[in-house]
Amino acid sequence: MRPARRTAEHAQRFLEGRFRGAIEQAPGGNAILRLPLSALDRAAALLSAEGARFISVFVAEQPERSLMAAFAFRGQVVSLRAPLTNGAASYPALSLHLPGAQLAERELRDREGLTPLGHPDLRPALRPDVDGFEQRITDGESFVIPYGPIRSGIFEAIQHVVETGGEDVLALETRPYFKHRGLEQRFAGLTPERAVLVAERVAGIATVAHAIAFSEAVEAALQVKAPEQAQLWRVVHAELERVANHLDVAMKLAEDAALAVGVARFGILKEDVLRLRARLCGSRFGRGAIRPGGLATQPLLAPDELHRWLAEFERELVRDRRLLLRTASFTDRLIGSGHLDRDTVERLAGVGPVARAVGISTDARFERPSGAYARLGFEVVTAEAGDAMARLEVRLGEIRESLHLIRQALDRLRRLAPTQLRNELPAAAGAAFGWAEAPQGELVYWTELADGAVSRVHISSPSLHNWPLFVASFRGDVLTDFSFIEHSFGLTPAGADR
Amino acid sequence: MLAWIARGLHKRIVTSRYPRRPEPLLPGFRGRVEVTDSEAAPAELEEVCPTGAIRVASDGRVSLDRGRCILCGACVAADPERFRFASDYETAARRRGGIVVGTPVQRELEALRLPLGERARPLRRSLHIRHVDTGSDGAEEWEIQALTNPYYDMQRLGLYFTLSPRHADILLVSGGVTRAMEEPLRRAYEVMPEPKAVIAAGTDACSGGFATEGEVAGGVDRVLPVDVYVPGSPPSPIALLHGLLLAAGILSEEAAA
Repeated sequence: MRPARRTAEHAQRFLEGRFRGAIEQAPGGNAILRLPLSALDRAAALLSAEGARFISVFVAEQPERSLMAAFAFRGQVVSLRAPLTNGAASYPALSLHLPGAQLAERELRDREGLTPLGHPDLRPALRPDVDGFEQRITDGESFVIPYGPIRSGIFEAIQHVVETGGEDVLALETRPYFKHRGLEQRFAGLTPERAVLVAERVAGIATVAHAIAFSEAVEAALQVKAPEQAQLWRVVHAELERVANHLDVAMKLAEDAALAVGVARFGILKEDVLRLRARLCGSRFGRGAIRPGGLATQPLLAPDELHRWLAEFERELVRDRRLLLRTASFTDRLIGSGHLDRDTVERLAGVGPVARAVGISTDARFERPSGAYARLGFEVVTAEAGDAMARLEVRLGEIRESLHLIRQALDRLRRLAPTQLRNELPAAAGAAFGWAEAPQGELVYWTELADGAVSRVHISSPSLHNWPLFVASFRGDVLTDFSFIEHSFGLTPAGADR
Repeated sequence: MLAWIARGLHKRIVTSRYPRRPEPLLPGFRGRVEVTDSEAAPAELEEVCPTGAIRVASDGRVSLDRGRCILCGACVAADPERFRFASDYETAARRRGGIVVGTPVQRELEALRLPLGERARPLRRSLHIRHVDTGSDGAEEWEIQALTNPYYDMQRLGLYFTLSPRHADILLVSGGVTRAMEEPLRRAYEVMPEPKAVIAAGTDACSGGFATEGEVAGGVDRVLPVDVYVPGSPPSPIALLHGLLLAAGILSEEAAA
C-alpha cells in the first residue's frame, strides 16, 4: 500500500476522534469539517499542532456562503468550513496560531471585507498604500532603498524595500502587489473550456501546473476522469515545465556569478526545452495543451521522438551540471547565502523546492498523487543545508527525476492503443479542490461550478506562500547576495499577485 | 574556467542568422492565426473567440485582431475552413490597425507622428532597450530574456538591454497596464531621452488581456504612444526581435509583409 493511502486512513481516524459530528461528505475524499466561525481559529491551531500545513483561507459559496480554511493533512486536503451569516464582518485571525496565514488573511480582507481580529499586520495587500515603509525615519546609521517596481534587468514588477547601512541587509520588505489583474474574479461566468485559458495566464511560467490544477478541480467537482492517455501526457507537459523552470533558475544564478559560458549553456538548454514544447503542442509554454476533461489536441510528437530528444538533452545537461557544481567561484556565492531553518519553513507553511531544501519532504505529487502520478515512481529530492546552494541542488535533482517521470509516462503511452483524449463534462453543479506541484511548489485551486459555468475560483499560489520565507532568509546577508538569494527562490510575482 | 571555455566551444554555432536569413519555422508552432476566407461569415462566428478578437462586419467580412488573439485555437477548431495556424514570426506592426487582419489598413494614421524609421536613424546599430513589466503573466519576461541567449544573441545586431530608462532608446513594455504600474510606466517614459520608441510586447500589452474590469487600464497605448505592436501570448523571441528591428528602422514593414 502506498504511504499516501495509509496516512489518509490515519487522518480519517484522527478527524473522527477530534471532530466527531463536524465531518461532512466531501468530493474526492477530502474531508470538510463544519464548525462555527468562532471556533475556526482553535480548530486550525489543533490541526496545525498535529502537523497539518496551512494552504489557504478564502470565502466559498457552495454549499453555502462560508469561510474555508484549507490544510494539507496526511495525504488529504482537510478544510474547516464556517458558515458566514449575513452580517458577519470579522472572525478570530488564524495568523495568531499560523503565521503562514498572514498574507492570505490580508488578501481575504481586501477581497471580502472580512476582518481577521488580532491579525498583526492589516495593511492592504491587493492595493497597497505606496507610502509606509520608506517614510520610516531611521537612526542616521542606515538608509532605505525602494528597489522596484521597475528594476535593473528583465524582471517582473515587484518592489523590495531594503534597509541597509551600506552593505548589510538590516531589514527587508517585499511587495509583490503591483500586478493585480483580478484574475480570480475573471473566471466567473466562463465555461470550463474558456476558464482554463485564464488559468493558463495566471502565472505564465507555470502555465501547465495552473491548467492541470484547475482542470482537476473541475473534474473532481463534476466527477469526471480524464482518459489515461491524457493523464500521462499531462505528466509529460508538467515535468517539461519543471525542467524549464529549474534551468531558468540555474541560468539566472550563473548570471549573478558572472559565469558567462554557464549562462550561455543553461540558456541553450532552457531554449531547447521551450522549443521542444512548441513542437509538442504549438506553444513554448504548453498553452492550449490541457483542457478540463483531458487534453485539447493530440500531441504533435510521438513517444519515440521524445525519447530520442531526451537522451541527447540529458547527455548535454549532465556535463553542464557537473561543470557548474565544480566551479568554486559559483558555488562559493551560494553556500551559506539566504539560509533558512526547518522551524521557520514549517512555521510559515513553505512549499516546493524551498521547503525541500531544508529537509521537509513535501511534494503534492507524492503526498496526494493525482492523475497518472499515482502510477509512476519518483524520488522526492531533498537537501538539509537550507541555503541557496541546497535549493539549487534540489532543483538539479528534480530535473533528473522529471526526466525519469517523462520516460515512464512515454513508455506507458507507447503501450496504449490510441483512444479519445478528452471526456465530456456534464453541465452540472459542484465544488472541489484540484492541485498540482508547480515548479515553485504546491498550487491549489478551489473551483465552484453551476449550470456548466465556473462560478468561483480561489487560487493558493506557491509564490505567495514562499514570499515571507524569502524575507526571513536574510540573516546577516549583504546586498551583493541579494540577487543570488532571490533567484534561488525561483518565485514569480504574477503567481503571487493574481 | 578553462573547462567552461572548452564547453562553450564544443557546440557548433547555434545563433540564428535572422534577419539576414529567414529563421527556420518550427513545425506546429502557433505563431499566428490566419484568416483564409474572410467572406460571408455568419455573425455568430464572433462568439467562437474567447477574447473578442474576431469581428464580423455587417457585410459578413471577418476580421481578426491579433492584438487580442491569444492563439488558443478555438476558431481553428470551430471553423478550419476559415482559420488556420501559421508558424510565422514576423507578426509585429507599427500601427494598431496593422495587427488586425482582414481589414484595409488606415495609412493616414502614420502621418500623425514623425515616421519611426526617421527618428530611429541616428540610433541604428546601437540601440539600448529598457524593459518594463506593467502586469504580465511572467511568460513575456522569459521570452525577452531569451533574446540574449546564444540562439538569438541580439547583441550581434547592436541591440542591448540597459538598466536605466535614462539611457534607453526603446521602452519594451510587457503586460496590460495595472493601476499600480500606470504611474511608474509614465515616469520611466518621461526620463528617456529623445528620440524614443515604445514597443507593446505581447497580446496583453497590445490590448489589456484577461483582467477584471477596473484592475487594468488596458493596453500600453492607453498610457503611452506605442510605436510597434508585437502580438502573441507570449510573443516568441524571434517575433520580439522582428518588432525591435521594426522599431529600430532596420527592417521596414513593407519589406516584411
